[in-house]
Amino acid sequence: MAGQPLLEIHDLSKRFAQRAGREPPPWVIQDLSFTVGEGEFLTIIGPSGSGKTTLLNMIAQIDSASGGSVRFQSQIAPIADPKALNPGLSCQIGYVTQEDNLLPWRTTLRNVLFPLEVQGRLNDETRAHAQMLIRAVGLAGFEDHYPHELSGGMRKRASLIRTLVYDPPVILMDEPFGALDAQTRAQLQEDLLRLWDLGRKTIVFVTHDIAEAIALGDRTLVLTRAPARIAGEHKITIPRPRDIRGIMTHSEFGPLYQRIRAELQ
Amino acid sequence: MATLEGSPDSNGAIRGGRAGALMRERGDQLLVLVVLIAIWQALSMIYGVYWIGSPWGVLVRFSEGVLKGELLRHTSYTLWEAVAGFIIGAVPAAALPFLLRRRPIITAILDPFMVGGYGAPKLALAPLFVLWFGIGIESKVALVAITVFFIVYFSALAGIRSLDAKLVQMAQVMGANERDVARHIVFPGAVPYIFTGLRIAMPYSIGGAVIAELISANRGLGYLIQLGAMNFDTTGVFVALVAVTCIVIVGNWSVNVVERRLLRWRPPADLKLETGA
Ligand SMILES: Nc1ncnc2c1ncn2[C@@H]1O[C@H](COP(=O)(O)OP(=O)(O)O)[C@@H](O)[C@H]1O
Ligand SMILES: [Mg+2]
Repeated sequence: MAGQPLLEIHDLSKRFAQRAGREPPPWVIQDLSFTVGEGEFLTIIGPSGSGKTTLLNMIAQIDSASGGSVRFQSQIAPIADPKALNPGLSCQIGYVTQEDNLLPWRTTLRNVLFPLEVQGRLNDETRAHAQMLIRAVGLAGFEDHYPHELSGGMRKRASLIRTLVYDPPVILMDEPFGALDAQTRAQLQEDLLRLWDLGRKTIVFVTHDIAEAIALGDRTLVLTRAPARIAGEHKITIPRPRDIRGIMTHSEFGPLYQRIRAELQ
Repeated sequence: MATLEGSPDSNGAIRGGRAGALMRERGDQLLVLVVLIAIWQALSMIYGVYWIGSPWGVLVRFSEGVLKGELLRHTSYTLWEAVAGFIIGAVPAAALPFLLRRRPIITAILDPFMVGGYGAPKLALAPLFVLWFGIGIESKVALVAITVFFIVYFSALAGIRSLDAKLVQMAQVMGANERDVARHIVFPGAVPYIFTGLRIAMPYSIGGAVIAELISANRGLGYLIQLGAMNFDTTGVFVALVAVTCIVIVGNWSVNVVERRLLRWRPPADLKLETGA
């Protein structure tokens, strides 16, 4: 399933800047290397505080690295210098953050249109695409609602399609469904897989939930506690389309779950 | 589907409840007004209308003033000074922190001067402004503008500083440039703060105009107050004070209306906290 590596992470390391009068901070991530193939759905699982958000921030270039490199389509991105950062790598890397980060003064529709607007790509065709996505995630009828008038699940959906709408080749997702109830979460996982099936984007999906990592990914990386290193890597060959709610009953699921759990200890 | 706080019917129900609460509130306010007028009446009966004009007398004179156009003319002078000064003070005050957003050093250098300007009793400047700008409208507008400027400047600055860095990062990831960030994130985020400043500054603008008129003018509500006091005409003074109060109430109401239109996106609780409603 994985084609040519689209994203190559090599010896990536991070420690945050020292604050006056404090101990030098520990390494959050140390010498982390992995690749992501074109069209691959990679899940990364790690305990809370293991540096997952920090990792995605560096790949998205909203935070600098203390060492190592990130290559996109074999092009090296200068991410050591905080001033040279290019957030989103010129709209090629989308990022669905842990919080929804919707603009509170914009309605659902105008939030979803925001990236198209700032990229100067707002036209009838892209508008129609946005409307299609809004319907696909069940937000039809809520186009004119402000974020505070939406439920948590609806805000998540809006923030998800706000990134899908401009079609970046790579999408990073940081525990996007972490704070939701089980029912909404399963629904959104299904929505995500359905949408992904339409376009087969390259996705790097971070989670602390083993079942979610298995259910969604083509491959999963297991991270240790900080400093994050790779404790294990597993191909997931459960055929697609997958039945999210019934995935636990698949023969591959149980053994994989146990192995990942052991690696997380 | 998740449950929705904002679904049309539940919204309707909330509004219905609110309308009822609002009616009760208005009723209670009327009661307070009646009590205040009763106290006023009692005081004027105790001390005599020579010292405290009676509510009825004030009402009669007020109506006469309105009908003859005399009171309206003075009110509109004061209002005009207040509005002009308000705009001349508020616009640069709201714009300055915005323009200096990327220049923290300049902002820091200006800070003690701004704090000084904010804290200094501007009304004490009124005599100076009369010397510099004469007894015409200019000295009043200048006093109002400088009073409004410092209040709005600090509100706007707080608005710029409240900026959520995560929203900016998200916008940048989606391809927003510096101008987009300023226009779509920094500015809308600062608007509620600017409005807080405008709401606080509004009565000061009318007060500033009146005080400047008290010191030296041949028209305006401040002049009427001064005239009334000189002629031992307390009823005349009260008539002018009632007119001042009316324009403050109308001004406050106008700011609220504009604010409510522009800030529809805010959860109602936020608005309530701020207006203290
Ligand atoms: N801005 C920061 N400054 C200092 N330390 C930070 C900062 N952000 C995160 N950390 C530290 O880095 C570690 C990893 O954080 P994070 O990447 O958020 O983990 P995760 O997303 O896996 O829960 C934590 O120990 C956290 O305290
Ligand atoms: Mg995190």
